[in-house]
Amino acid sequence: MNNKLKVLRAMRNWSQAELADRLDVSRQAVNAIETGKYDPSLPLAFKLARLFEMPIEEIFDDGQEGSKND
Amino acid sequence: MTDVDTVKPRRRLSPRQRRYRFALGFAAVVGGIVGGWMVADQPKGGDYGPEVIFNGPLSASFAIGAALLWVLGLAISIAIYHRAIDDHEERAWLWAGLAGWYAFIIPAPVWWVLHRADLAPPADAMLLFVLSMVVNGIVWLWLKYR
Repeated sequence: MNNKLKVLRAMRNWSQAELADRLDVSRQAVNAIETGKYDPSLPLAFKLARLFEMPIEEIFDDGQEGSKND
Repeated sequence: MTDVDTVKPRRRLSPRQRRYRFALGFAAVVGGIVGGWMVADQPKGGDYGPEVIFNGPLSASFAIGAALLWVLGLAISIAIYHRAIDDHEERAWLWAGLAGWYAFIIPAPVWWVLHRADLAPPADAMLLFVLSMVVNGIVWLWLKYR
């Protein structure tokens, strides 16, 4: 799953370690999410959304946009 | 500008991080006690090689003490560890545990049936345990730090 975490973090001039502290997770967790090696759990995704004050779907993109059958 | 000016203030550990470090430190201390005790339990000038670790005779007092330390120490540190890890590490732990389990259930019956047909020596439980732990450790490290 793609995400804008690296961009959002850079806009705030936070290091991975600073973001990890704010989320109370390890720096490895932040790095794994940013590089797409790990999709966060729903509680952690909500935590990220609250921290960046934006909806989850603006941070994460599952690549399914436009493929809805409506 | 002095070196002091460039030093970043040390970040305070969150309660989760403190629990995490305590769990790992506690497990390391228990492991150190068991290992040190095992060496001290050997006769003077004895062999400290793999044979002692895997199959050599042990005194009853050490065996009972090490068994209690292993069960209680591991139970306490695991309980604290699992309350302290984030979901990234929990996922690494779960996959590593599964890989370790497969590293036991696949070779164990193979070895057992081969032995029953006199095609292999008796199954060595400690070797299977070590194999399972090594696979577990490799997968955990890979998923956490890749």
